[in-house]
Amino acid sequence: MAGKVNKFETPSSASSDSDSELALEISEQVFIDDEDYSRAPASPTTVPNVRSYRPPSTGSNILKSPRGRRVRTTSMSQPNKKTTAESILHADRRTIYTAGRPPWYNCTGGQEVEPFLIGICGASASGKTTVAAKIIESLNIPWVTIVSMDSFYKVLNEKQHHAAMRNEYNFDHPDAFDMELLESVLQRLKEGKKVEVPIYNYVTHSREHRTKTMYGANVIIFEGILAFYNAQVLSKLDMRVFVDTDADIRLARRLRRDIVQRGRDLEGVLKQYMTHVKPAYQNYIAPCMAHADIIVPRGGENKVAISLIVQHVHKQLQLRGFKVREKLAIAHVGQPVPDSLYVLKDTPQVQGLHTFIRNKDTPRDEFIFYSKRLMRLVIEFALSLLPYSEHQVDTPQGFTYTGRKCDVEKICGVSILRAGETMEQAVCDVCKDIRIGKILIQTNQQTDEPELYYLRLPKDIKDYRVVLMDATVATGAAAMMAVRVLLDHDVPEEHISLVSLLMAEIGVHSIAYAFPRVKIITSALDPEINEKFYVLPGIGNFGDRYFGTEPSDEE
Amino acid sequence: MDIVDMDIRQWDVNDVKEQFGDSLTLLPPNDNIKELQTILRDKNTTRSDFKFYADRLIRLVIEESLNKLPFTDCEVVTPTGALYKGLKYGSGNCGVSIVRSGEAMEQGLRDCCRSIRIGKILVESDNDTHEAHVVYAKFPEDIARRQVLLMYPIMSTGNTVKQAVNVLTQHGVKEERIILSNLFCTPAAAQAVVDYVPKMKILTSELHPVAPNHFGMKYFGTD
Repeated sequence: MAGKVNKFETPSSASSDSDSELALEISEQVFIDDEDYSRAPASPTTVPNVRSYRPPSTGSNILKSPRGRRVRTTSMSQPNKKTTAESILHADRRTIYTAGRPPWYNCTGGQEVEPFLIGICGASASGKTTVAAKIIESLNIPWVTIVSMDSFYKVLNEKQHHAAMRNEYNFDHPDAFDMELLESVLQRLKEGKKVEVPIYNYVTHSREHRTKTMYGANVIIFEGILAFYNAQVLSKLDMRVFVDTDADIRLARRLRRDIVQRGRDLEGVLKQYMTHVKPAYQNYIAPCMAHADIIVPRGGENKVAISLIVQHVHKQLQLRGFKVREKLAIAHVGQPVPDSLYVLKDTPQVQGLHTFIRNKDTPRDEFIFYSKRLMRLVIEFALSLLPYSEHQVDTPQGFTYTGRKCDVEKICGVSILRAGETMEQAVCDVCKDIRIGKILIQTNQQTDEPELYYLRLPKDIKDYRVVLMDATVATGAAAMMAVRVLLDHDVPEEHISLVSLLMAEIGVHSIAYAFPRVKIITSALDPEINEKFYVLPGIGNFGDRYFGTEPSDEE
Repeated sequence: MDIVDMDIRQWDVNDVKEQFGDSLTLLPPNDNIKELQTILRDKNTTRSDFKFYADRLIRLVIEESLNKLPFTDCEVVTPTGALYKGLKYGSGNCGVSIVRSGEAMEQGLRDCCRSIRIGKILVESDNDTHEAHVVYAKFPEDIARRQVLLMYPIMSTGNTVKQAVNVLTQHGVKEERIILSNLFCTPAAAQAVVDYVPKMKILTSELHPVAPNHFGMKYFGTD
């Protein structure tokens, strides 16, 4: 399992104390919070204090991560310059996953609050990545995105490519970077939107056809040798950190990295250093120091500087205040329903079934029976929205019958635990041998925000049409998080159908706005949600009623 | 088959209404249902697939048939304390299956109405004259007071259904209280039945001049 994991390569030895035991496969991540992490300073708004809260009765087995530590998710553009999709960062006995984060979108499709963008500039091999890692580690924020300037190298033509092979191409000059693309990517990330970051191939000196999909996060770290060079980029940075490391140390690190890790010869490395790297530092990088808010001497070892940075970021985040659901709840009021919404035909039977399951006095066995009937109808309806084409068959009666056949062979169900799990039976009843993935999202009871705890999906889920199931959708925050997880696993947006028994209008709007190509399928649309984010008139807490775990009537 | 309209056309809601009035309803067609029908028509479908997909189609037909039952408006309080304006179905319904192929639809009905009473009618048709005779019928005692969901999946001439309706009316069931659930129907059979009992409500999933007569044999595995 550990073999699949790409260690986060830092120029220094920051990652050497990682333990590979924590390295889970990306397809079975466990996100948990744990007591012994409370020592880190936590901002009450950004980092909900979840340690007193355990998801109720969801089975202790899934909450047992290898050591019960807090696991965090970070998305990075090019963390190790090898592969980008399955990166896990090890730092200070903790594992940071580099896929997924909660989708904090607001009504404009952007992020609820503008993320805090930290720029880290410094010479080659000065320890920028180490500083970035240390900041993430100390921030104690679950979702961080790291963008590396290395992703934005320009594509070289043949002549330049050959020059690069002879160590004669100047990778340290500002012209080597695609500043326009960089600027637009940073802008989109600041808006909380999805971006496609190019993957640069250092062998062919061109961009690969695939790109890395990244999303805005509460905190975005942008690092690169010329991070402060471009004025437009500079203006987007909320905090500018310059890492200043002694030239001898940088050269020593560079020699070690290029010769040992990249297999290059001493002469070539020195030639490049003298002709490009050193002049570039003097001409372009060192003058950038003037733009810095804080200069970190000695790089990642400088604990005092790091803790100052972290304190400042926490303060800023606290001021900005991250609150998602509340905003989702009031956005989009009075808008027409989106095109991607498909509501089951409102027949008397469907209304009759709704009457049963909405009635608070319906006994549980009837509640289960009638909700199952409704689920079956919704799932059948969802299947009818897949693409079909004409298909001819021979009949026993001797004529050829022209019918239709579904174009999709691979369908996979993904349920959002716990309430979505109740729909698994219905999908299994209509699709033979269907694969089922699970995503556990629980609402943090102190902040009312959804949090991702666990996911297990089929390995090649990107090849499937995904029927994403949740019993009810109120603000849509949990469903959006689940969609985001699927997107992170390279499922194309148009291959996702979100199926639900009951949705609130605002939830539908939020999801449709953020993910316009996701099909949203439900059996009823309710107009409102209440202050506890339950749909009105609604069903109540579907999971509790179905599984019989309602709290006793004391409230 | 005596009178078969060989005109293979796609019947839409308006065609059906024009031809059969309000008596006959077509299951709202979609690609999913069409695929189910295609699989059931295909002679290369295995028995296990046939039963699986037949059960899915039956379930959809039954659910749609239940829409024809009478209901009343009602209001309920939801757990969030809000009022929901819903509707309520009366009790006093029952199912009647025509042996043998109609029995394939009993499970579908049970899956929708857990403790519904189910009566049975056995109709045998003469191989030469296509005349149908009722051999056996057993109903709940008070069937005259109930809404009856008559189940018969394949109609090619309509003779069997006509005889079954005769038996029901002899037991005091009113014509307008009978709902016929059907999967495949020929236009000729539909016309014959509608002319014979105009007040009965019929629901079918497909009107096609050739009925898949192998249904019962393949479903029960007696081919």
